[in-house]
Amino acid sequence: MSKAKKAGLLLLAVLIALMILLPLVWMISTAFKNDFEALSGRMNFLPKKPTVDNFVQGLNGELMNTPVLRWIVNSLTVGLIGTAIVLLIDSMAAFALARLPDLPLRRILLPMFIASLMIPGVLTFLPMYMEFNSLGLINTYPALILPATAGAFGVFLLYQFFISFPKEIEEAARMDGVNKWTLYSRILMPSAVSIMATLGIFTFMGIYNDFVWPLYATTSPEMRTITAGIAMMATGSYTQSYGKLMAMTTIAALPVVIIFILGQKSFVKAITSAGVK
Amino acid sequence: MEELFLKSTLNSRLTSFLFILPYLAAFGLFLLFPIIYGVVISLQDFELLSADHPFVGLQNYIKIFTPGTYENSVFFGGLWTTIQFVIYSVPMLILVGLGLAMLVNALPARVRSWFRTFYFLPYALSASVMAVIWLMMFDTNAGFLNSLLMKLGIASIPWLTGTPWVWIALVMTTLWWTIGFNMIIFVNALNEVPEDFYEAASIDGANAWGKFVSITLPSIRPVMLFVMITSTIASFNIYAQPFLLTRGGPGNTTRVLLMNVLDQAFIRKDVGSASAMAILMALLIMVISVIQFRLTNRKEKV
Repeated sequence: MSKAKKAGLLLLAVLIALMILLPLVWMISTAFKNDFEALSGRMNFLPKKPTVDNFVQGLNGELMNTPVLRWIVNSLTVGLIGTAIVLLIDSMAAFALARLPDLPLRRILLPMFIASLMIPGVLTFLPMYMEFNSLGLINTYPALILPATAGAFGVFLLYQFFISFPKEIEEAARMDGVNKWTLYSRILMPSAVSIMATLGIFTFMGIYNDFVWPLYATTSPEMRTITAGIAMMATGSYTQSYGKLMAMTTIAALPVVIIFILGQKSFVKAITSAGVK
Repeated sequence: MEELFLKSTLNSRLTSFLFILPYLAAFGLFLLFPIIYGVVISLQDFELLSADHPFVGLQNYIKIFTPGTYENSVFFGGLWTTIQFVIYSVPMLILVGLGLAMLVNALPARVRSWFRTFYFLPYALSASVMAVIWLMMFDTNAGFLNSLLMKLGIASIPWLTGTPWVWIALVMTTLWWTIGFNMIIFVNALNEVPEDFYEAASIDGANAWGKFVSITLPSIRPVMLFVMITSTIASFNIYAQPFLLTRGGPGNTTRVLLMNVLDQAFIRKDVGSASAMAILMALLIMVISVIQFRLTNRKEKV
């Protein structure tokens, strides 16, 4: 490729990157503007009179009668607990499916789990709502956490990893009379740290970013997650308070953007192993 | 070592089962049970706030397929809107995804990962965050895009209130949000095309376009199909963009099927008929997945 052509491609790539990043830059810039300036239609990226009022008001609960801080705590709590459960139960299940040939029903369970990956969320949404409603669990943390634990993606991902684990190491361990739990926790899990991190990042982002289920599964302001809360604000009385809305979206975006940038390699691995074999 | 497993006692099999039990319980309670319960609900006159849910057989389904009923107009109206969005968005999702992947791959290796991160970044955001950012970008009076157009001396555009602009707005936000996913899949596929193929073509005197058509496209065909299907399914499930940006408007122009299903359950409080609609929608999506499986498996055998 000629030098000029290379430079042209690089220029194009930079332009596209600027276009893609522009809404995010504008979001951050607007978050520091007062309502008047945010609605003025002026295109200044640096606010004339920068203010942190939007953040302060939001975090103190002067918007929506709810401390947004509570929403963030809810989101982080639900995301972390959900991820911990998924990592534990998925790795145990994958270990059993891949390394314990005497597992009863193995021939039925594995294809059933894989087939379940094709089931669209719309099929379970309403009955799941009615289920949690009859259990009296609507508007509680379990309602926000438990539905995320049923997905078979993690089991499938870890199964693929465990099935390729060298048999020799396992056999040596078995010779030493190691029991199944030790085999799982001491021998297989330590080797699975990287794939577990991948699944962890993927799961946390999935739970943290979901907003439709939390929107319906919570009824009181203090139980909302940050993503559902933002949707409520945007459809409610804050339609045009862009400064306040953008302060909230900036806060909501921060954890996932950080995790995404730090764990990008892992995340990409999860996506590609999920789709194309 | 194999005989160790053959000799497995009842006790050993029970221990093995204990490992899978926690996940199996979650799977049963929050996936298998809801699916069955959903079918049951769809056969009932199930009002959201009522405790009595009489069995009505296929009545909810019959209503959906009876022209002139409210359920019929909501289901097929929403379905048509959704299909329109699929038709507008999927070709863009494939073309732009492949284009970005080829661009990124043509960049010097040193900067490649930077651009991949930039293009992929919006994918990390929640649908609600994404939609609210664009609510501001598209605002008719104060929005960034119309302010920019004003500066250039162009009349402002009713991005979220006029056709065809609403469709352009929905496709634009969807591209911005999800294109990184398709790009990554394509980047991996492109990297797996053997370098010698291109060298051989160069010796034969093929130009860039010739190489693209005769080598790149055939080599990434299975991946192309995969992206086509996942994009179609994702677009079929569209909800956040019309829910938060256009509210289904103008009129009912962008009222997609998922919005109608949820409104039928939570606003009209007719969970029975909403469940029937959800099941029909899920069946449609699964038919698309099955077709994908058939097509990709056939490809692999060839």
